Amino acid sequence: MIRDITIGQYYPSNSILHKLDSRVKLIATLVFIISLFVVNNFIGYGFAFLCLAILIYISKVPVKFMLRGLKSIVFIIIFTLILNLFVTDGETVLFSFGIIRITLEGVLLAIKICIRLIMLIVGSSLLTLTTTPIELTNGIERGLVPLKKIGVPAHEIAMMMTIALRFIPTLLDETDKIIKAQQARGADFETGNFLNRAKNLIPILVPLFVSSFRRAEELATAMEARCYSGSENRTKLNVMKYNKRDFKALFFIILYIVGIVLIKIFV
Amino acid sequence: MIKSENLTFEYKITTEKDGKSIDETIKALDSVNIDIKDGDFVAILGHNGSGKSTFAKHINALLLPSDGTMYVNGYNTKDLEKLWDIRQSAGMVFQNPDNQMVATIVEEDVAFGPENLGVPSEEIRKRVDESLKSVGMYEFKDASPARLSGGQKQRIAIAGVLAMLPKCIILDEPTAMLDPMGRKEVINTVIKLNKKFNMTVILITHYMNEAVLADKVFVMDSGKLVMQGTPREIFKNPDKLFSYGLDVPQVTELSHMLIKKGVNIRDDILTVSEMVDEIIKKASKKTVFYHTENAKKENNKETVLSLRNVSHVYNEGTVFKKTALNNINLEIKKGEFLGLIGHTGSGKSTLIQHLNALLKPTSGEILLYGKDDYKDVNKLKSIRQKIGLVFQYPEHQLFEMTVYKDIAFAPTNLGLSEEEIKERVDTAAKTAGLSEEIYEKSPFDLSGGQKRRVAIAGILAMKPDVLVLDEPTAGLDPKGRDEILSAVKKMHDEFGMTVILVSHSMEDISKIADRIIVMYGGEIYKSGTPSEIFEDANSLRKIGLDVPQITLLFKELNEKGFNLPDNIFTVDKAFEIIYQLFEQVEKQ
Repeated sequence: MIRDITIGQYYPSNSILHKLDSRVKLIATLVFIISLFVVNNFIGYGFAFLCLAILIYISKVPVKFMLRGLKSIVFIIIFTLILNLFVTDGETVLFSFGIIRITLEGVLLAIKICIRLIMLIVGSSLLTLTTTPIELTNGIERGLVPLKKIGVPAHEIAMMMTIALRFIPTLLDETDKIIKAQQARGADFETGNFLNRAKNLIPILVPLFVSSFRRAEELATAMEARCYSGSENRTKLNVMKYNKRDFKALFFIILYIVGIVLIKIFV
Repeated sequence: MIKSENLTFEYKITTEKDGKSIDETIKALDSVNIDIKDGDFVAILGHNGSGKSTFAKHINALLLPSDGTMYVNGYNTKDLEKLWDIRQSAGMVFQNPDNQMVATIVEEDVAFGPENLGVPSEEIRKRVDESLKSVGMYEFKDASPARLSGGQKQRIAIAGVLAMLPKCIILDEPTAMLDPMGRKEVINTVIKLNKKFNMTVILITHYMNEAVLADKVFVMDSGKLVMQGTPREIFKNPDKLFSYGLDVPQVTELSHMLIKKGVNIRDDILTVSEMVDEIIKKASKKTVFYHTENAKKENNKETVLSLRNVSHVYNEGTVFKKTALNNINLEIKKGEFLGLIGHTGSGKSTLIQHLNALLKPTSGEILLYGKDDYKDVNKLKSIRQKIGLVFQYPEHQLFEMTVYKDIAFAPTNLGLSEEEIKERVDTAAKTAGLSEEIYEKSPFDLSGGQKRRVAIAGILAMKPDVLVLDEPTAGLDPKGRDEILSAVKKMHDEFGMTVILVSHSMEDISKIADRIIVMYGGEIYKSGTPSEIFEDANSLRKIGLDVPQITLLFKELNEKGFNLPDNIFTVDKAFEIIYQLFEQVEKQ
């Protein structure tokens, strides 16, 4: 049950998007996310949506697969929708009942925020769907290198991400095992009130922490034994190089930024 | 290559006694002098806590001596400037395959060492490919470590060390967590490195059959080097080895039992074929009529559990579909001692989780005392109480502040009274061989073997009718293995408990089980008494299982014209029979 959860799900394919340098994809995602917050009218959203749709088409990732990722956040979307619907105050009252007032402004805002949220999730999942975790961490490490001068530990951040990704399946397996072992000792995780349930987590969390610390310690020793000493003088097996298509992609990103700016100014 | 002079390592621990804290100095290593030459294959033996791992960590400069010196490849390990040269020339592989992999892709993991050393990228690529080829894992270079078996992961770890181009490779119990097949993969790889590439190998192990393969064996006990010599010289003294909490190969033990009775054979036998040669040369008879009690002891007792056409399919209807159990039919009688054997992935673990209602069959049914309770959600607790399941590495489930509370966890969940709980904890602790003195200790302060017994006591405290144990001896040293097995035997013999024991070790299981079930590919491959199972050694080896050395000995003797029973698997039985082959000599 617990091992069915997939994190950073990658969809293997040979599209141009998959082959693109992960740094370019990271930049694109960042630009896309910022653009969603810059524009606040429907024309802007339409433009962003069009671009996103083209990218999804190019990526060869089935739309169904993309939408499945949205399923888990349906609750959050509905929650924000309702919250904005009821809380936003405005001039044009559409409906009122007791203290509940729904205004035109509220409806518009709720819709806008939902569009933003959905595009945000779809946009960033496009990144993880087309980029393997290892490329992603490499991209982050290389992308952060310029920031090293101001004291950002680029290599360390990437290393932590790699280790986290490496150990997620291991720890999920371990959690599954511990839950079963405690169930075999008569532990009950399904019934009782909230406080009781929280208390019942102790038999899972303590062994999990203990084992994580043991793993961390053993991993640190193993890394030391393999001459790990941080980022100094470190080389890489796979060196990242920008390609022709990466520069083309950068050009399109700039075009997109120009488009967004124009919409912001003139509409 | 490696030389230690009066190597001593001390550390301080603070213990609380009567409210006062006392500093105690523990000598983990005590004036150890070891000299290992280039190209040697050395095995280091010793029980848990004897100082073997501490010694290994000194070779890699992960620990520095408190006194004395350690030289690796001519460098003194105290010379901090040479630290990277030392770690590069003496690479280390650890016990847990999961906890030494850094990257999410095999080739990236192998590249980790050379990347740290600042080797140019093209050179790393070359080294990674070559290292993966020498451990036979090249086709897995793009795989994710999570998808590999234990043996494969350890081979990747070895490749990771090889990519640093070391002169020496140290393996700290690399096979302790593997099944027999994985063990073989790793050991064959190690032998290849030593023979083909002339690599110096230092293998720390609890398995005597692995130590036999070395050129030289060192034995450690309480931080001291107590024995050294060739495997032949070392295993000549079984009694001395037993006193250090170690073991000898079955045929060696047999030969020494014969010698003690006055039979004149070599005292340095290590392998089955040596024993066969010696018997052919010196035995006076070729036939022994021996009545093995092959007649089944009819067990007419009540049936506790019956499985009818039980199947379990994971991820039905997806591409990841996997049939873990296929149409299992099985009856377990009261008071039975059932052994369950099969390699990793054969369905053993899935099967025992069904018995405990942790998994539900996708088809078929399980009956407890003839009743179909498994489908009733309200009866889950009572099933889990009646069928006590001890998981693999059960010490990983301990969580309470004190040993007492941890053992009391299950009875508390059953909602028993304070007195009842106390009584159950006492009985369970005693049965598992634990004394009352440790009740107030933290379970995390205990030794590995003790922790495991606390965890087993935690299940016993539910007073189960059936006790299911999943590899209770995994990762323990020979003495720890014996302690656990004799505790389990006691539960069965003295308290009449029905026991189901899952194990990789044919030698352990054949000694104590009444009936053995061999699992293969999710099905019951074979079932019967130990002698019925071992009659056909070939079919067991075909599915990747080991047979006890003794069984092999009798098989080979019979192939060479002897006429002996073919279902012998314990050293004691073998002694009775082989001794008769020599009796005439003695009488003359």
